[in-house]
Amino acid sequence: MLPPTIPYHQVRDDLWRPLAGVSKRYVLTLSFLMAVALWGLIAWGYQIHEGIGVAGIRRPVFWGFYLVDFVFWIGISHAGTLISAILRLTDADWRKPVTRAAEAITAFALMIGGMFPLIHLGRVWLFYWLFPYPNSRLLWPNFRSPLMWDVTAISTYLTGSLIFLYLPMIPDVAQLAEHATGWRLRLYKLMALGWSGSDREWHALERAMKLMAGIILAVAVSVHSVVAWDFAMAIAPMWHSTIFAPYFVVGAIFSGLAGLIIALNIIRKTMHLENYLTPHHFGNLAKLLLLMSLLWLYFTFAEHLTVWYGNEPKEMNVFGARISGRFSPEFWTMVAVNFVIPFILLGIRKLRSITTATIASVGILIGMWLERYLIIVPTLSLPRLAAASGRYSPSWVEVSITVATFAAMAALYLVFSKLFPIVSVWEFEPHEPEEE
Amino acid sequence: MSLYLSGSFADKKDAAQAIKQLKTNGYGPDDLTVFSDEPVEFPRGVLDRPSHMSLAVVSGAVLFFLAVVGFVYYTQQDYRLVTGGMPIFSFWPTGVVFYEITMLGAILTTTGWFIWESGLLRRDKSIPVPSIEPEIICLRVRCNPDQFAAAQDLLQKAGAKSVAKLEKKAA
Repeated sequence: MLPPTIPYHQVRDDLWRPLAGVSKRYVLTLSFLMAVALWGLIAWGYQIHEGIGVAGIRRPVFWGFYLVDFVFWIGISHAGTLISAILRLTDADWRKPVTRAAEAITAFALMIGGMFPLIHLGRVWLFYWLFPYPNSRLLWPNFRSPLMWDVTAISTYLTGSLIFLYLPMIPDVAQLAEHATGWRLRLYKLMALGWSGSDREWHALERAMKLMAGIILAVAVSVHSVVAWDFAMAIAPMWHSTIFAPYFVVGAIFSGLAGLIIALNIIRKTMHLENYLTPHHFGNLAKLLLLMSLLWLYFTFAEHLTVWYGNEPKEMNVFGARISGRFSPEFWTMVAVNFVIPFILLGIRKLRSITTATIASVGILIGMWLERYLIIVPTLSLPRLAAASGRYSPSWVEVSITVATFAAMAALYLVFSKLFPIVSVWEFEPHEPEEE
Repeated sequence: MSLYLSGSFADKKDAAQAIKQLKTNGYGPDDLTVFSDEPVEFPRGVLDRPSHMSLAVVSGAVLFFLAVVGFVYYTQQDYRLVTGGMPIFSFWPTGVVFYEITMLGAILTTTGWFIWESGLLRRDKSIPVPSIEPEIICLRVRCNPDQFAAAQDLLQKAGAKSVAKLEKKAA
């Protein structure tokens, strides 16, 4: 069911309304989220002061929650830019109310994900050693190291995502500047770059967005492939796999879509945007989510089947630990929330609704976090040298930082939605149904 | 001295008609600017704005690619590592870095070219800009004083809801 035609002035009023005023509930929510985020910063400060030993990472598991969170947040970042770019390139008209909300998720998730390599550094104050600059020791970064691949990939993706988010915001902030006062006026004017709505500007914007969509698509795929290669380049059990890159890309889009559905439902409810984010949009996103769930299952099955059929002892150790050993509760929970529940809730048409899509998405986020945990921890716990096996349990510092990132993400999103229309006003032109 | 007048159109077809007639009367694309609060697509040939953005983006990407290959080659050669005569520069393991920086070049060039081509930061602020109303297309015409009346008449005949003279702002 397509949304009814809404007059332009009402579109603008409805989408600008959330920007005006700050409710008590908003202040309380933001304060709570900021407090949790601050707690995470304190935990990180404690780790910097005391040393990385306060985290639960021990030999042989040197990649614990921090790397799980890193991969998870980089995955979530695929919500926006990738989905938005695909929908833009395919001229999917229903994308219009969805894209900005999605692109904002990308920008914030990348900022958070990009912090984990720093959090994971033992001596974070030396992070600038990763930059290629002439120094007295005549040392340059090793560009062949996957760590440098990550630095360049994430920097490029973050730059591209911020620009991809910013460019289509220019017409909206130019309009906002005409009605704003005080610091908001200065902010919007600065961001509008003197936009006047001329045909030259529109043409340039449309061309730039088309090109950016193509470029960002290629970058987004490469970023999660690079994250996958961080693992696949090591000859570790169940990591050294040729399908790891596409497996990670599929997982990233899957978790990104789930994050997007949750964010859109919260926006819809709290900002009263029921006329703009309709069951039609959620229906389409739910179908995409179902497709990604099936693809995820296919990749997971293919990955595990080849290991089982190969029957290589070291790989079978990790395989066994996942399927029926000490990691099996996490494994089967992951399968249930990533496939069984979405398949029932979204696959049966009668059950598919905004609420069930959101429930499935919450489960998928949990499942995808567990998937990253199951990729990292079992392999490191059970290395090729059996005598070097070990166990991992996260410390309060890692748990605090993990929880804080979720709070930081929500806080950033709340602040963004108070500053800018979360649905692109100029793109949401009132359509006649036949034009749609 | 140039004068500016603006015609407001509720219908895109009327605006296209006005542009065609103005072009027949000797006005060039630089004399005509359309303002709107959403993109307006005219049929090909009405008010085309040729663009070199794609070419610029490819050039930017190639430039960044060459720069990063050169930089990585230089730094790897400069790294005083004893390799026993083995080559220290290898193309494939650094391929990801080359790829990402090439794409960064494409992204930055797109942004730069967008700002250049749209004329955002180099607009002459003394040239008046009509205020845009929702769902209205404004056609701004630059003309000589002796052409003013004829242009005004042409806009009205083409179906403009209103035609107004735009005053130049102090630069």
